[in-house]
Amino acid sequence: MPLDTSSYALAHLRLDGRRWNELRRLHAQTSTQAAADGSSYLEMGNTKVICTVAGPAESRKGGGGGGNAEAKIEVEIGIAGFSGVERKRRGKGDKRTSEMRHTIASAFSANLFAHLYPHSTITVNLHVLSQDGSLLAACLNATTLALIDAGIPMSDYIVACTAGSTASYASNDEDADPLLDLNGLEEQELPFLTVGTLGAGEKVSVLIMETRMQMTRLEAMLAAGVDGCRQIRSILDGVVRAHGKAVLDSAIS
Amino acid sequence: MPHATAPSTNESSFLLAALRENVRLDSRPFDAYRPISLTFPSSSPDTYGQSEVRIGKTRVLCVISSEVVAPYPDRKFDGVLTISCEMSPLMSAGVDTGGRPDPSETILTTLLDKSIRRSRSLDTESLCIVAGQKCFSIRADLHILDHDGNLLDACCLALVAALAHYRRPDYEVHGEDVKIFSAQERDGVKLTLRDWPFCVSSSYFDAGTITITDANLLEEQCREGEVVVAMTRHGEVVQVAKYGGVAVDALGMLQVVEQSLAKVKMMDGVVKEALARDERERDKGGVMKAELSAENERVMERPVG
Repeated sequence: MPLDTSSYALAHLRLDGRRWNELRRLHAQTSTQAAADGSSYLEMGNTKVICTVAGPAESRKGGGGGGNAEAKIEVEIGIAGFSGVERKRRGKGDKRTSEMRHTIASAFSANLFAHLYPHSTITVNLHVLSQDGSLLAACLNATTLALIDAGIPMSDYIVACTAGSTASYASNDEDADPLLDLNGLEEQELPFLTVGTLGAGEKVSVLIMETRMQMTRLEAMLAAGVDGCRQIRSILDGVVRAHGKAVLDSAIS
Repeated sequence: MPHATAPSTNESSFLLAALRENVRLDSRPFDAYRPISLTFPSSSPDTYGQSEVRIGKTRVLCVISSEVVAPYPDRKFDGVLTISCEMSPLMSAGVDTGGRPDPSETILTTLLDKSIRRSRSLDTESLCIVAGQKCFSIRADLHILDHDGNLLDACCLALVAALAHYRRPDYEVHGEDVKIFSAQERDGVKLTLRDWPFCVSSSYFDAGTITITDANLLEEQCREGEVVVAMTRHGEVVQVAKYGGVAVDALGMLQVVEQSLAKVKMMDGVVKEALARDERERDKGGVMKAELSAENERVMERPVG
């Protein structure tokens, strides 16, 4: 349905006027909340996410479990009822939400220098204000920014985006284009995957695909996704550096 | 993982050192599975849909049952499939069942759910009896009897085999009345499975440079990352899941997906062979088999020569 319009067949333009390899408007801010140790606000198209980070702080259980040599990362996600097309209250025990929480916690556990903070907990709180596709990717990007704002050292940015395929609309395999950064309507109809890379290289940290796909098309989608992540990393890096410069300038003056 | 069973530093560094020298502790090649055995134990010849899978020492039992319920109001034409997998202290020391379920249990159930139920491998429309009023609710219960690593592959294999084996009760609809026949009255009807998706789990070590398939318990506890690929034997990828962990080269991931195809075909063969063997054993010949055969009894005499 999102590609049924004549604009795709004729000019290869998607419903919102993008070509296959164009990202949506990405807007990000760090240090949006003064009370939190680290915070960020990220918009990928119409998907809007707020992230706050508290920590590293002492573990609540007080050394329970024999003590950890590394900081533990806890993620909480709250998806607002008004975020989707229909109003829907989602409990915290929702399966999709716990899957996302596990993914984010696991991705950053491997990336953060958690060994610098033994016996501590880093708490990440995500609030989803609006959903229009690429939810997990937006959450990962927002968490990266908030963790950088909190000053927690990490080896590189974890950036994520989605990539899909026009496979069901193509006449044969060769014509099937990968698509970058799907919006909500495209996500419902087309097969897609979410890929998160560590920095601008080709190291894949997170890869989740829940739709059926022929094995041969996976390569093109993954390549498009990794390239999109590279673009996102440079945008996020610009945001962080601009914020840092603003802080330095205000401190000097 | 519960801390009671966490491996010691000696064990984990020995494992890593051995892997760096291209040796797995049980001398398997990096991409080999442990011996897989699949049987259909059942209490009576009329009971279908119970499968037991062993991969090495990991042992999983799957039981399928069905009942007639009213369908969900927003899905009037679909039946219901529920997959339940509970971990208990039976499977390994240190599993705590009091309180909330272990996060690894949630992930296991989610992955199984995505591979079989959300991928629509079981055609739920065929479970509908009367639209909006009655439908079959198929419940798959997985019991993990022994945990020696790679629970997901074993559970998926057991689940697919049990679903392929199961026969739901036959029924007849006359206007408003629905008569469900028991197994004694009429033979059951097999479920409609579009295809058989199998999961292949691969684990990463040493900053993502070493990849092995089918990790046993020790390898699972020491690994730095893992990826699960669920595929059918036709090369259609049903799901890929890499939930964080160490970052791995993208090309390496694609290779893992390609290599998984061979494993999936192997598992497909195991299920087919087990189903055929079970069919042979259950088929007592029927009443008329001896009369229906045209074979004469032959007396072989040694040729004169």
